[in-house]
Amino acid sequence: MRSTESGSIRLEGVSKTFGTNTVLEGVGFALSPGTITGLVGENGAGKSTLIRILSGAIEPSSGTVELDGVTLPNSTRGVIEAGISVIYQELTDVPDLPLLENVLLGNLQSSYGFKRTRENRKRALEGLRVVGLDHLGLDTPLRELTIAQRQLAEIARCLVRDAKVLVLDEPTSSLPEADVETLLGVVERLREQGMTILYVTHHLDELFRIADRLIVLRDGRKVAEAPTEEWDEHSLVRAMLAGELDQAYPWRSRELGEVVLEASDIVAPGVRSASVTARTSEVVGLVGLAGAGRTELMRALCGVSSAHSGKISVDGSEVRIGSIRHAMRAGLLYASEDRKGDGLILEGSVESNLIYGAYDEVSRFGVINFRRVSAFARDTVSRYRVRLHSIKQAIGELSGGNQQKIVVARVSERKPRVAFFDDPTRGVDVGAKASIYEEIFQLADRGAAVFVSSSDTDEVLAVADRVYVLAGGRIVAELQRGEFEREKILHLSSAAGANAGGSNR
Amino acid sequence: MSETTTVSAVRPEPGVRRWVHSATNSNLAPIILALVLVSVALSILTPNFLTASNLTNIVTQSAVVGIAAIGATFVIITSGIDLSVGSNIALSGLVGAIVAQTTGSGLLGIAVVVLVAMVVGAVNGASVAWLGLAPFIVTLAVMGMARGLTLQISQGQSVYGLPESLNWLGSSAIFDIKTSALVTVLLFVVAHFVLSQTTFGHRIYAVGGNAEAARLAGINVKRVVFAAYVIAGITAGIAAIILLGRLDSATPNAATGTELQVIAAVVIGGTSLFGGKGSMVGTFIGVLLIGVINNGLTLLNVSSFWVQFVQGALIFLAVLLDSFNSRRKQRAGR
Repeated sequence: MRSTESGSIRLEGVSKTFGTNTVLEGVGFALSPGTITGLVGENGAGKSTLIRILSGAIEPSSGTVELDGVTLPNSTRGVIEAGISVIYQELTDVPDLPLLENVLLGNLQSSYGFKRTRENRKRALEGLRVVGLDHLGLDTPLRELTIAQRQLAEIARCLVRDAKVLVLDEPTSSLPEADVETLLGVVERLREQGMTILYVTHHLDELFRIADRLIVLRDGRKVAEAPTEEWDEHSLVRAMLAGELDQAYPWRSRELGEVVLEASDIVAPGVRSASVTARTSEVVGLVGLAGAGRTELMRALCGVSSAHSGKISVDGSEVRIGSIRHAMRAGLLYASEDRKGDGLILEGSVESNLIYGAYDEVSRFGVINFRRVSAFARDTVSRYRVRLHSIKQAIGELSGGNQQKIVVARVSERKPRVAFFDDPTRGVDVGAKASIYEEIFQLADRGAAVFVSSSDTDEVLAVADRVYVLAGGRIVAELQRGEFEREKILHLSSAAGANAGGSNR
Repeated sequence: MSETTTVSAVRPEPGVRRWVHSATNSNLAPIILALVLVSVALSILTPNFLTASNLTNIVTQSAVVGIAAIGATFVIITSGIDLSVGSNIALSGLVGAIVAQTTGSGLLGIAVVVLVAMVVGAVNGASVAWLGLAPFIVTLAVMGMARGLTLQISQGQSVYGLPESLNWLGSSAIFDIKTSALVTVLLFVVAHFVLSQTTFGHRIYAVGGNAEAARLAGINVKRVVFAAYVIAGITAGIAAIILLGRLDSATPNAATGTELQVIAAVVIGGTSLFGGKGSMVGTFIGVLLIGVINNGLTLLNVSSFWVQFVQGALIFLAVLLDSFNSRRKQRAGR
């Protein structure tokens, strides 16, 4: 559709900081027309920030980004017009409008106010032909299309805008396998037509199929770049992770105290039978595949879900199961994995979210001393380095990482005997992760027992003194630090999970 | 993220502002502006508006709706609704009036009014909290039942001639100001304190903002919801006493449609029907705005049929604004 001569991207020394948090540091690389470059890195490595810079949504704090030797405009509109289009993970189309208008979204040329011109239809069809959707009627409402077709329609939209550079951010994350093939085919076809393509994904196999070069980001830095044939899956994963975990959350040995929590034969929704213990100052990890029962076990132990049977005791005295308030009184506190769903009250202020349900220290005869609340809140947000305008601000306005710090702080600051952090670093960047774990360690230093679970097993292994491996709602293994082997744990959790899955339901 | 400041820039807010603002996040500027504009317009259009007697008259006229709106504010912040308030006023007032008349004791009558109204509120609250029924449906059903009971008990007849002590609250005056107006203002002050300064008020916001998060934070959500409806019952009872005194009688059709004005006042006052947001100050201004509009339409000799239309239109506008605000918040929060 356009000449292959233009569409070169060059980044030099690109850095981006948010406040004190450096998200990108000195990143430089070049993308040339007619190539597919894969960009990989863990959550929080800086990929999203890089994409946002390329889209014109944010400007780098330092460094330059050039398209064909010209500095990138600093607006999304300008960047699109310059020829860079970004396809985001989540669809940005308008399901109620027909295909035609979606493909021409923001680019509809009207003639005397009429939009349904022959010119428009021709341009839309041209774009749709490249992505293989020209057999669909232009008037089909978008909601009648499959997700994959809508994804392709978004690409067609970029083509209609005469994009020279296409950035794809996790384009296959919600596609069934068969449709992934189609999409990869389209991307390869675009390369043949001379498009410059940056392909960002967690699916390494896709990159090995289509990418020409691979770039690895870690902690906001480019740590490796090489032609695809020089990589294999193993070396790529190593480059993404290497040593980073130990650096980010340095495990340190602590003097473990007496057993504080003893729970035996817990049966609850999603938990078939589990017995756990924890000692003071101990960090206990829960690992397992999705659906293994990590969240469910935590919720049962804290009385959030109604356990059917089992016995829980704290410091030797029994706690009534299935009652949040009894569990809380005994010092069992739960920090939810789902901060928007049930972790926070998003409309409430930051300070309110710190005290909901725990008024003992800030109230007298049922009257809240807001001066004390504010002092407590200001102290907390500064220790946790929460970035905000005001503690009176609605917490929903904070970024995910900062919201998450409040979720953690709320449990840590209530002097728990046993704290349960369910995926405490979900969706937060590297900097926030490190400070969240720092707080968790300090809590353990002060003598609390701490349970941590995460969808990222490596993260749990990096911080825990001991882990329980869960599968199918049961504990299938218990490992001490020093016995942590990733392969073994993976094997345990998947093999045992398959076994447990078949039996008694 | 781009406009964030570091913590050192977080300054304490002045005490007075905190007192009014507390956990609400609601913006009262538009409604205060509306109240001022309407008042200025009426002052120009009619010479009778801006007189001391008319202004106190507005508060007096607003007493029944205003006091009922106090309870409704609690309920609506928990993301509930109480449609039964008008019927509750009629039922509790009638039963109390009958008791007062037969026993001759006005104080007993007052106690019965509040008790009956509280029971109706408790039925609403228990159904919503423990039976998990939808507030709209429950209170609609209770609205029908209470009105039906009122008509049955009274056989459609009004009760006239009540003891002086029962009438006192709704008919007496202190220094030319009606007691009912003073009581209304006093109750608003108390309610504002409860809502903005106590742990109970804080829990009300938490439950309305996100019931599941409130539960996980250790708040007894069901008890809080129940309490909100009981409060709404009690305020309906106090409103009923004032209405009895004003009319010196109990009529089975009393306070028909009052729920519309009550909900209008609360919603216009910036309390979100989605819950978790609102303030007593806002409700008070909402009550005044409705009172001023009613008063103005009367002074301007506009047909009373239009009054109801205007109230409906006000609710419509308020809900529209509420919905816009919530959607904008949602987008911003993402």
